[in-house]
Amino acid sequence: MTDYISAYSRSGQLFIPRLFQGFPEIKEALMSNRMQAAFMVAPMAIALRAQGVPVKIVYLGHRYGSAVVVQKDGPVKTFADLKGKVVAIPSRFSDERLILFRAMKVNGMKASDVHLVEMAPPDVAGALAAGAIDAFSMGEPFPSQSEMSGRGRVLFHAREYWPDYMSCVLVVRQDVIDHRPEAVQVLVDGIARSGLWLEEKEKRRAHRTQAADFVGRYYYRQDPKLLRWALLKPEDRVKYEPLSPRKKDFDLVTQLMRETGVLDRDIAFEEYVDVRFAEGAEGQRPWKYEAGWAKAE
Amino acid sequence: MRKLLAYTFAWIAAITAGHLYLNVNWAVLMNDRLPLEKRKLNVAYIPVT
Repeated sequence: MTDYISAYSRSGQLFIPRLFQGFPEIKEALMSNRMQAAFMVAPMAIALRAQGVPVKIVYLGHRYGSAVVVQKDGPVKTFADLKGKVVAIPSRFSDERLILFRAMKVNGMKASDVHLVEMAPPDVAGALAAGAIDAFSMGEPFPSQSEMSGRGRVLFHAREYWPDYMSCVLVVRQDVIDHRPEAVQVLVDGIARSGLWLEEKEKRRAHRTQAADFVGRYYYRQDPKLLRWALLKPEDRVKYEPLSPRKKDFDLVTQLMRETGVLDRDIAFEEYVDVRFAEGAEGQRPWKYEAGWAKAE
Repeated sequence: MRKLLAYTFAWIAAITAGHLYLNVNWAVLMNDRLPLEKRKLNVAYIPVT
């Protein structure tokens, strides 16, 4: 969205977006400097930093936007019914896995009560419909895709067990932060402005509808109806503000990572997050742009 | 013979132009040719939120 609108601005396109199909490929591209920045799930970014990879989290991509989905008319009616069932997650280094552990704890279940399998996000809706899995925990638009097809039902949204839930974060290579901080700030400012544009009070619905249309058409090659569903049913299904990285949110992620065995040492917030770009983006205004306009400000 | 060659050449030129237009990411190529300090950042994403 930032890329689409900024292309109409005086400064022109702010960055070069590059599509990938999975997080492991993004990780390799970042490490080899083919990509200087990336959106990835927060636990993966933290694990990379803990392993010594020189990257930092500088901003969030969104809040909420993940859900656990089960077969619409299947046997799973409550979380406790997931006992002994197969649940797909995008990666063992994902918030979607952590939210399941959090829900298991609340419902008095053990980690071994659910069989977790890693699956590429685009495959989960089909796998659920075919009965290959009993549920999936995934980011949008895949829960929406499953609901829209009439085969899936949201058992719970992540925020029900995890207020202020976050998933994808913006990660930047340390050498870029050190040598080109102004380029990183331009990128963060652009994302902040896009978030504010999507959350503008009276125009929220209209802007989300517009975003679903141009993002679906020009970027994801997905049905705009699907993105409208993900952005509007309900309107706070995915939130784009506040996107500043906060210590308490990340402390919870690292604590859950430690408890569930995907982080082998304590890691300080300052070691994997650089907050100066989020601080620099404070006071930014939403884009001034409406669909069909020839320029954005 | 000359006509056949002209048609063949025109066909190859049209296919090549179509390929260059549809399959080459010119923004990436042009960006990679800029001096390092002027290059835009390459940002990876996957089609989830």
